[in-house]
Amino acid sequence: MIKAKDVVKVFHSHGMTIRAVDGVSTEVEKGEVVVVIGPSGSGKSTFLRCINGLDMFDEGHVIIDGVDLADKKTNINKVRAEVGMVFQQFNLFPHKTVLENLTLAQRKVRKRDKKTADEKSRMLLAKVGIPEKADQYPSRLSGGQQQRVAIARALAMDPKVMLFDEPTSALDPEMVGEVLDVMKQLAREGMTMIVVTHEMGFAREVADRVIFMDEGKVVEVGTPEHFFTNPQEERAKLFLKQVL
Amino acid sequence: MNATQNGWPWKLLLVVILLGTAAGTWGAVSKIDYKWRWYRVPQYFLYHAEDAQKIPFDGTVSVIKKSGKSTTVVLLSETQEQVEVTVDSDELKVSEGESLFEGDTVGFTRQWRLGPLMMGLWTTLWLSAIASVFALVLGLVTGLAKISSNFTLRSLAIIYIECIRGTPLLVQIFIAYFFLGTVFNLSRNVCGVGALALFAGAYVAEIVRAGIQAIPKGQMEAARSLGMTVSQTMIEIILPQAFKKILPPLSGQFISLVKDSSLVSVIAITDLTKSGREIITSTFAPFEIWMVVAAMYLLVTSLLSQIVYYMERRLAVSD
Repeated sequence: MIKAKDVVKVFHSHGMTIRAVDGVSTEVEKGEVVVVIGPSGSGKSTFLRCINGLDMFDEGHVIIDGVDLADKKTNINKVRAEVGMVFQQFNLFPHKTVLENLTLAQRKVRKRDKKTADEKSRMLLAKVGIPEKADQYPSRLSGGQQQRVAIARALAMDPKVMLFDEPTSALDPEMVGEVLDVMKQLAREGMTMIVVTHEMGFAREVADRVIFMDEGKVVEVGTPEHFFTNPQEERAKLFLKQVL
Repeated sequence: MNATQNGWPWKLLLVVILLGTAAGTWGAVSKIDYKWRWYRVPQYFLYHAEDAQKIPFDGTVSVIKKSGKSTTVVLLSETQEQVEVTVDSDELKVSEGESLFEGDTVGFTRQWRLGPLMMGLWTTLWLSAIASVFALVLGLVTGLAKISSNFTLRSLAIIYIECIRGTPLLVQIFIAYFFLGTVFNLSRNVCGVGALALFAGAYVAEIVRAGIQAIPKGQMEAARSLGMTVSQTMIEIILPQAFKKILPPLSGQFISLVKDSSLVSVIAITDLTKSGREIITSTFAPFEIWMVVAAMYLLVTSLLSQIVYYMERRLAVSD
């Protein structure tokens, strides 16, 4: 489904070269839930952003459903329509109502008519538990509600895979649960997901596989039981000691 | 203590200062023995025009038909040609059967006409309106070019903006009229509007650029991650939000444009300022006319500010 091969992303700043993602390779099967964890600055968010081309990687290949992003002929917009993304800061469109947030890309990219798009949107809003907010502007919603709208917005495109970039990091603690519940439900329904998060409980409960990254490299990969109970690498042990 | 000082003593002080200024001005003017002629001003807004209706040939008055305020006179030439002329009843100067020579006055018609001040105001308004539209388009394109990743586009935008912002508008108008106007055979109105649009466009471009850059990067990323193209994102997501942000500085720029348009009077476009100057040559009332002209500019700019204020409130619904 998704295949990353030796992905390298280099940032240049103030004359220094930072290899934010340094030769990461992984494969994600259909229906699999992969959680990427690691200390801040470990390149996990950058790696995630390479998967839908928001950050264009410098070397390597990302192949989504047989389409290679490194290929110059690839229409990146078509790939992105198949890859949903949820951001830390929600990034809802503040000048559009919740419903319009959900319908916009359906109509512009998927070319659905208004009726179909509206129906799909209302169905998804009901699914994430806020059908009554359809005609509100995002600024009237709480952080948790906004993030659930953002998830619904990504789902409205019928993506083949969903990427989550620290979806609960900007939330007040009491709202983390409602967002995680939506994500758990998605996972149960068989959605392919790659989740960058600091929520170890979520990783342990939902992940099929945990990838631990540090300094741009994959340090350890394993099932949650293996990773949380019996990590092999020193850096992983140290990290777990600090967060658990 | 109050955070804002707006109690009655301060209001009183304001009134005292304003009255003091007025009295001081009044005293200074009375010393130089200026004769105020305010009564001459209204006719330059609106006046009662009297047009003479004349007979186009040698002939006679055959019939006079009175109907209320206007009278129709049927004139008959020596070659039996008939012409009807309509004049005001109380300004009829001929009687039935009278013979007239070509060019004799049959009577007068009177009607209200807009005076030079109103015509000048109209010129100022349409000149500014057209220049604003072009400036907005030009500014939008240049602003987008300036943040484009393409080197050529970016450089062109920077050169244009720096050249315009680094030279006086008056000189630009002269160049537009005497150089470009001569080379490309352009009318003075085209030169005037063009110079104003080019001038305002450079400032609008900077405003647009700042507005777009003020939109969080996440907005572009969110839209792109949904598969929208750059232009779709610009049109649907970035520009609407940027527009809301730049409305105050943008409106300030357009209000400035209305005021700056007074400079086109130097290339003999009869705008409000030029009308004022022309009126002064026939009235010798410079004090009154310039004050009236200033008041008219002030009225227009205040109205524009009010409209923008209303628009800002309308756009604030999603906040």
